[in-house]
Amino acid sequence: MLSTLTFFISESFISLRRNGLMTMVAVGTITVSLCIFGFFLLSIINMSNIVSNLGTKVDLVAYASQPLTDTEAENVRLQISRIDGVKEAKWISKDKAWKDFKEEFSDRLKLEEIVDSNPLPDTFFVKMLNPELSAKVSKEIARISLIEEVGFNPNLVDKIETLVEAFRIGGLMLVFLLSLATLLIVVNTIRLTVLARETEIVIMRLVGATRSFIRWPFIIEGIILGMLGSGISIVIIKFTYEAIIVRLQNALPFVTLFTNHFWIGCVYFLVAIVGVLLGMLGGYISVNKQLKEEN
Amino acid sequence: MIQLIGVTKTYPNGVGALYDINLHVGKEEFMFIVGPSGAGKTTLLRMLYKEESPTMGEVIVDRVKVNNLTAEQVPYLRRNIGVVFQDYKLLPKRTVYENVAFALQVTGTPHFQVRRRVMQALELVALLRKANSFPDELSGGEKQRTCIARAIVNNPPILLADEPTGSLDPTTSWDIIQLLDKINKRNTTVLVATHNKSIVDGMKKRVVALEGGRMIRDQQLGAYSGERLSNA
Ligand SMILES: Nc1ncnc2c1ncn2[C@@H]1O[C@H](COP(=O)(O)OP(=O)(O)O)[C@@H](O)[C@H]1O
Ligand SMILES: [Mg+2]
Repeated sequence: MLSTLTFFISESFISLRRNGLMTMVAVGTITVSLCIFGFFLLSIINMSNIVSNLGTKVDLVAYASQPLTDTEAENVRLQISRIDGVKEAKWISKDKAWKDFKEEFSDRLKLEEIVDSNPLPDTFFVKMLNPELSAKVSKEIARISLIEEVGFNPNLVDKIETLVEAFRIGGLMLVFLLSLATLLIVVNTIRLTVLARETEIVIMRLVGATRSFIRWPFIIEGIILGMLGSGISIVIIKFTYEAIIVRLQNALPFVTLFTNHFWIGCVYFLVAIVGVLLGMLGGYISVNKQLKEEN
Repeated sequence: MIQLIGVTKTYPNGVGALYDINLHVGKEEFMFIVGPSGAGKTTLLRMLYKEESPTMGEVIVDRVKVNNLTAEQVPYLRRNIGVVFQDYKLLPKRTVYENVAFALQVTGTPHFQVRRRVMQALELVALLRKANSFPDELSGGEKQRTCIARAIVNNPPILLADEPTGSLDPTTSWDIIQLLDKINKRNTTVLVATHNKSIVDGMKKRVVALEGGRMIRDQQLGAYSGERLSNA
């Protein structure tokens, strides 16, 4: 058993070396495809992450139509917080809003010179449980009496989500096409070995080697190609991603990029699995063609 | 050991290669299949190890109905049948030893048995001293001995030889046939397809003659052509 395995593996390495150039082309193609696949997965993870963060940060802001007493304000706040999809609602009295506003902009504007009375209404900040419901919730808040208007662009999150969805679908198509192209190249590479070893296959069949025995060296050859390709691409993805994260985090500090090691580890794992599977499948297909032609 | 019952073979392109062949070969036999080129000798041999299947009729090898074997079972049939060719089919980048060992390695023979069995086979074909030579360093006769060693290295009960002397000079041809005879005496059924007249006449073995896919003669202690026997 062990001697058989050693036989297979040494045979595979011999033929990979014999087809040096084609082996490099195949490993290169697998690497490129897997890098694109890996970055696609990382982008998806990051976008989902950003969108869900967006959801907790994008608040609805509701403005009262007239100055409110404390009881009226508490009443409105309760009505808002009872709406489905609302996490919490917070009341900022018009006085506090005016004070905050003045504090924030005091160094840039001399507001008192322009407006001497407080122009701001009582304000409710609304935190959402689920950003997808924003549009619906904002309509319901607008229906509450004493609420004048709800400030928030209800389409923004929708638009981002549509964008992410389009990216996801487009990316999946790209990944699929790339896998197909990679598979073809792997099949062709191993096909060269199959052809170079045609006499050997004929003799193996003649002396009674089983079909699976004949297949294994080629499948192992595919696995080796896949492992080389995915190893290289994981290294590339790791270093590039880390470099990108550092730069992006500096340039866009308000966007939280994904650094959770578990999920990033999952991406690497997936890249490795896909690489090895592509190689295996390629090996299987190329030798099976030969076995079908006879018999 | 080998039995053909009403075997007819028509190739997919419509060429008829064999018609209603009935044949029985016993365990200890050495048999020649003779006939002009295109008579169907190769086709007959190929059906025994299921490289081709009959269009009609039954092929039985070692009590096994070859027709019914699945693709997964065919390899095990072939481990019981050694095959030798006119063009040797040796692997050029492997030594004599490696060519013979290959047959054992690819059929899952335990590592520790390979060396002993290859050496035995090489000794039988008198090629031990060439064990480390590559095929293109060998004479035609030596190549054929290598091919024979590979065919018998796992001791199959049946040995088929398709024009084994087709590319050899008369003396070497005679040596090769003597070797096949020696193998037959070690309890192996041997079938030799040939159109080498002097060899067939010299051996005085059973002769089955084919012509245009039909069996026209089956003689014990036969000769290449029927006339000579009628003269005797
Ligand atoms: N693979 C094949 N496909 C179609 N026809 C074949 C094939 N092999 C042999 N034949 C035909 O079958 C006949 C018998 O061929 P073969 O068995 O090779 O004869 P022999 O070995 O006696 O010379 C010939 O007419 C030959 O052309
Ligand atoms: Mg022939």
